[in-house]
Amino acid sequence: MSGVDDIPGDVDLDRVWIGVATQVWGRRPGPVERAARTVLRSPGLARALVTTPSLLLGWVVATAVVLLAGMLATRGTGTPFVALCAPGVAAAGIAYAYGPGVDPAWELSRSVAVSDRMVLLVRALAVFGLNAALGLAASAASGTATTVTVGWLVPMTAVCGLALAAATVARSANVGVAAGLAGWTITVLSGQVAAGRLTAAVTDTTLRLPYLTFAAGCALIVGYATRISRGTS
Amino acid sequence: MNVELGDVTRRFGRTQAVDGVSLEIGTGVFGLLGPNGAGKTSLLRMMATVVPPSSGRIRLLGADPGAYGPRRQIRRGLGYVPQNLGFYPRFTVLEFVEYFALLKEVPTARVPRAVAAAVERVGLGDKATAKLRTLSGGMLRRVGIAQAIVNEPDLLLLDEPTAGLDPEQRVAFRALLRELGERATVVVSTHLVEDVGAACTRVALMDQGRIAFDGTPDELTARGAGTSAAGDAPLERGYSAVLAEVRS
Repeated sequence: MSGVDDIPGDVDLDRVWIGVATQVWGRRPGPVERAARTVLRSPGLARALVTTPSLLLGWVVATAVVLLAGMLATRGTGTPFVALCAPGVAAAGIAYAYGPGVDPAWELSRSVAVSDRMVLLVRALAVFGLNAALGLAASAASGTATTVTVGWLVPMTAVCGLALAAATVARSANVGVAAGLAGWTITVLSGQVAAGRLTAAVTDTTLRLPYLTFAAGCALIVGYATRISRGTS
Repeated sequence: MNVELGDVTRRFGRTQAVDGVSLEIGTGVFGLLGPNGAGKTSLLRMMATVVPPSSGRIRLLGADPGAYGPRRQIRRGLGYVPQNLGFYPRFTVLEFVEYFALLKEVPTARVPRAVAAAVERVGLGDKATAKLRTLSGGMLRRVGIAQAIVNEPDLLLLDEPTAGLDPEQRVAFRALLRELGERATVVVSTHLVEDVGAACTRVALMDQGRIAFDGTPDELTARGAGTSAAGDAPLERGYSAVLAEVRS
């Protein structure tokens, strides 16, 4: 049985061990991360995407359950609950996509080569896309009219913009969620008071331009709040 | 010079955190001493490109951090351990260090080896697959140091790095600092004078946002000689003497 004393002196055991550890500890990214790497062309950005709090399995399942309940309620009562709750659910997901209140190592992540603005953009788009897809599926399955089925996508954009802007400016995901839910509740209730229909906020086509203008304004606020300093040198 | 600061100021609202600091720092371990609220963390955050200066000139690793392209290049060669280092509780040590290796754009093929080497260097090999939520404060601090050195940085910035480390770990950490300082610029912000005496080749003392002293640890020690300045060790007396002088 040979021991450490039998190893030639020119063998660097530390180096050997690092080589072993590299093999033992190395892990292959999952299929979602590998796909994200291909699309984004940045392994760092891909890893940042798959660690998004509001894209983790628990959150996605919770979102699906809420929308499923909305779909069943819609089919049972005729009131389009999916269209009414989807923007609020998406706003919560967007607010919890990125920021100092969500990422514990946020300060550290602001000093790395992959810019925090890119991480924010990619995560927000991914959360928005997933929520839109789940919402559309639930909405289509609930059997509502086409105007209702897709009508909530535009207001959802505005509500998500509000949630993201509030979360970014206040540096708190909870503030973002509160702002998004409050904004959407006020909009829905205002629509009911003005038009006498709970779905007015979703189906009134004259509101689309104001929604999109509002969303663009929120995007500008987010851009300003996360602006890249030009420095002074 | 890896760090060049020219008349740098930083203001947060009405508070002048950094007030006209000029420094040039090359290879070696540079200690940034000072009492709480002296402006050390603000200065370090500017060097880490986390916040921009309110005025003044900063060049890091020969580039201007105010422009996107050069800043990205700087950040690839930067290691940073903030004072309040946050952790993802469900991550393992390896996952956390790997995450930051990827965010620092370490070439993908080199990441596994770089992560293994960084984790071993801070003595966390036996905890490599442990979840961060199960680690002690000192171990978490070492995880923070591992992520900072995973890209073999040319500029390493450490804010109170020995907080939470036990005496044995601090001795090992100082040895690591000296080793890193042989090829890189290491800036250590601390209020622990003994860390500076043991590991630093040069030291600056900050007070009220300004540099009150810039020299070697021996020169700082000499400032306390023959005075009645408070302190249990010669370096501490030098520290106290300089502070008393600038405040008088």
